[in-house]
Amino acid sequence: MLSSKKIVLVGHFGVGKSSLIRRFVKNSFSDDYLVTVGVHIVKKTVHIDNDEITLIIWDIEGKEDMQKLRPSFLLGTSGFIYVFDATRESTYINLSDEINYIETHYPKTNLLTVANKIDLIEKNIFIKIAENYKLKIDYYSSAKTGENVELIFNDLAKNLIK
Amino acid sequence: MTDAEKLTLLRDLLLDEDRNFANKILEKVDTLTDTVNIDEKLSQKVEPIISRKLTSFVEEIPVKLGPTITEALSEQIKNSQDEVVNILFPLLGKMIKKYIQSEMKTLSDNINAQINQKLSFKYWYRKIMSFFSGVSEIDFVLADMAKSKILQLFIIEKGSGLIIARYSNTDTIDEDLLAGMLTAIKSFVEDAFIKGDQNLELIEYELYKIYLQNFPTYYISAVISGKFDAVFKNRVENDLFDFANKHIKKNIGNKQYIEQKLKEYFINA
Ligand SMILES: Nc1nc2c(ncn2[C@@H]2O[C@H](COP(=O)(O)OP(=O)(O)OP(=O)(O)O)[C@@H](O)[C@H]2O)c(=O)[nH]1
Ligand SMILES: [Mg+2]
Repeated sequence: MLSSKKIVLVGHFGVGKSSLIRRFVKNSFSDDYLVTVGVHIVKKTVHIDNDEITLIIWDIEGKEDMQKLRPSFLLGTSGFIYVFDATRESTYINLSDEINYIETHYPKTNLLTVANKIDLIEKNIFIKIAENYKLKIDYYSSAKTGENVELIFNDLAKNLIK
Repeated sequence: MTDAEKLTLLRDLLLDEDRNFANKILEKVDTLTDTVNIDEKLSQKVEPIISRKLTSFVEEIPVKLGPTITEALSEQIKNSQDEVVNILFPLLGKMIKKYIQSEMKTLSDNINAQINQKLSFKYWYRKIMSFFSGVSEIDFVLADMAKSKILQLFIIEKGSGLIIARYSNTDTIDEDLLAGMLTAIKSFVEDAFIKGDQNLELIEYELYKIYLQNFPTYYISAVISGKFDAVFKNRVENDLFDFANKHIKKNIGNKQYIEQKLKEYFINA
């Protein structure tokens, strides 16, 4: 059966939400930074075993605080990907509050956390930092090299089918 | 203060508002550029609209707001700019709404171009008809336009913007994305500019109008060509309520059934 699910990428400005989506949907990357204003919607169908699922992906503007987001952008979401920038402390320092916010306001949704731009920092060093901050990280990714990008979206899709 | 001075003061105040406002628009233009990827064309299109609207806005002030403003002015303007802004705000709100609509229009120029391409047999039909009948092409276009018709119909889940069911006799736009965009625009406009329990009902662009009718958990969006007057609106509204009652209410998860019924409805319409 073909089904559609809305997923949303959230996180601070410039952490690479649009870039991850672009890598996933178009398999391309650009170093230029084009701020997302409002929302941009794209889709991609993924195949999982014998199932097909169309991800309707909402690429929304970055906000340093989930509470400042327009709630109407988040309604009806099945899966969240919370993205932060591994090279910028300010984008993950509030991670647990942000996760908390999503889990209380959007229970029953799936949530994955992603440390992006991992190509810019020594992974081992960052893992130590993450331990220090007690960050709950599901994936390390790079929209630039493509590392783990496909995996993140596919795993989310799997969770949504379950 | 002389009248001329008052007017100058007022104009300064307004232009300040306008500047903020223009900045907002510029930000949005950026998104569109991002989305549609035709930077220059887009800004060429939007900039004239902005300046045209601003001009007509400034021209309208004396006529529409004259009496209210003069009264408020003499009392308040010196030390209370907020007051004036409050008076003007409803009007600005309306303008902003119009902008959103015209942005939608720009965005959809693209979509239209696609539709036109695909439907180009119509273009040729008109050309040939006009050649043989001696009636000008434009009359054919007008005759075409006058017939109000629903071209496409989407039943869309509120919030998520996912399509519950659809009817369409054209196959050009990506419907999932259109439904998502419509939902985003609708909720954006509704929570930013419309107060109370009003809804965004109509988005116009080119020859098409997108009519939006609300139900508790979903809304129906109809893409309409031709004249959208009160009579036609009434008919569509009644039909949609009818249809929702008969077929959607108890079958909300049953896409196949709803789409079958939609098809029947359109064949009989
Ligand atoms: N080196 C590197 N740069 C990246 C990566 N991902 C994104 N960037 C760059 O970071 C900048 C911001 O990326 P965007 O994808 O626009 O960020 P965003 O989260 O969508 O930003 P907003 O729309 O403003 O919220 C761009 O210049 C990208 O090229 C990555 O994995 N590695
Ligand atoms: Mg972005």
